[in-house]
Amino acid sequence: MATIVLSTAWTQGSGSKFECASGPLGEVLKRFAADEPRYRHRIVGADGEPYRYYNVYLDGQAVLRRGRDAVLVGEDSTVHIVPPLAGG
Amino acid sequence: MTEMIVVVGAEFVPGAPPDQLEWLQAEGQPFPPEWFADETAAGAVTVSTFRIDPYPVTVAQFRDFVQATGYRTDAERYGYGLVYTDRYWTEREGACWWAPAGRGVPVRDRDDHPVVHISWPDATAYAAWAGKRLPTEAEWELAARGQVLRLWPWGNTWDRTRANTAELHAGELTSLEQWKAWWLDVHARTGPVPQTTPVGTFPAGVSPAGCHDMAGNVYEWTASTASLYTVEQECDATIRSVLGRYRAIRGGSWMNFRYQVRCTERMYGDPDGWSNFALGFRCATDA
Repeated sequence: MATIVLSTAWTQGSGSKFECASGPLGEVLKRFAADEPRYRHRIVGADGEPYRYYNVYLDGQAVLRRGRDAVLVGEDSTVHIVPPLAGG
Repeated sequence: MTEMIVVVGAEFVPGAPPDQLEWLQAEGQPFPPEWFADETAAGAVTVSTFRIDPYPVTVAQFRDFVQATGYRTDAERYGYGLVYTDRYWTEREGACWWAPAGRGVPVRDRDDHPVVHISWPDATAYAAWAGKRLPTEAEWELAARGQVLRLWPWGNTWDRTRANTAELHAGELTSLEQWKAWWLDVHARTGPVPQTTPVGTFPAGVSPAGCHDMAGNVYEWTASTASLYTVEQECDATIRSVLGRYRAIRGGSWMNFRYQVRCTERMYGDPDGWSNFALGFRCATDA
């Protein structure tokens, strides 16, 4: 399983790492939003598509916004989802 | 033009000592310890004498820059800016420095408010035009608190009437649910209009150096790349992922609780063209 990491400000002490199935990043994010509805509004817009303004780091490497959805998330990969304003 | 303030160079310890971080947890505020750990102090730094603007750059000042240069901000080129709606952060069509709430939402008479929807490239372009630069993070903190640590620019006792934070508008806030209730009410009445105030509205909130609006009003870009005071410091994993990538942002904004507008509070912004409706800047120069 791959791992998704959210900020502790979002999770408020309830655990910030989540297991998810591997696959194309766009699908991984949409599946995560469906599986974890309390974070849905932070991950996908009203149209159900992942927001473009946050940054995604796959195994420590920034994923470019262009073509992001098709980037493959492997079984052992870690995905950090980071808002454009971090910290605080 | 407002005269810049000379801040005498000094050796001081930026960041928060452990007892301040413990105090944060004892306060009952909603954020976990990891969230503030990036501001853990690690040692002294030396800052040379510099000059800094007493106020954030205003809408009128930014308009002078645009009229002189024809500059278009990143938000204008993209055709949208980030605002907080009744749902969450949203890319709002037409939102930019002269239409901060987006197309179709009138926002007038804001020449003396801090300009918002300013990306890091926008801020550095303005500063270069003005013959200035962005302050480093250490310069910003020294201007906000002086050599002696203090929680807020005016001292260690919170007073919501001394700064433009969400608590100025909503009263004391202790939970995110209270914040959401306040914002939903504002949004229902006005739309996503930034709750900025004219610069210098709070003279009782001035810093020891004489800088205004260093707690709240708008988030302020700095020149510094995101980094920890010591690399061994444990902190939130998402914050760690932006080290070396994002730029430091200081001061909190009108959106924040008292805890996010402390002098040592650190935030980080994506410098690749992103901005939002609470994000501005002020300028500095070498002495």
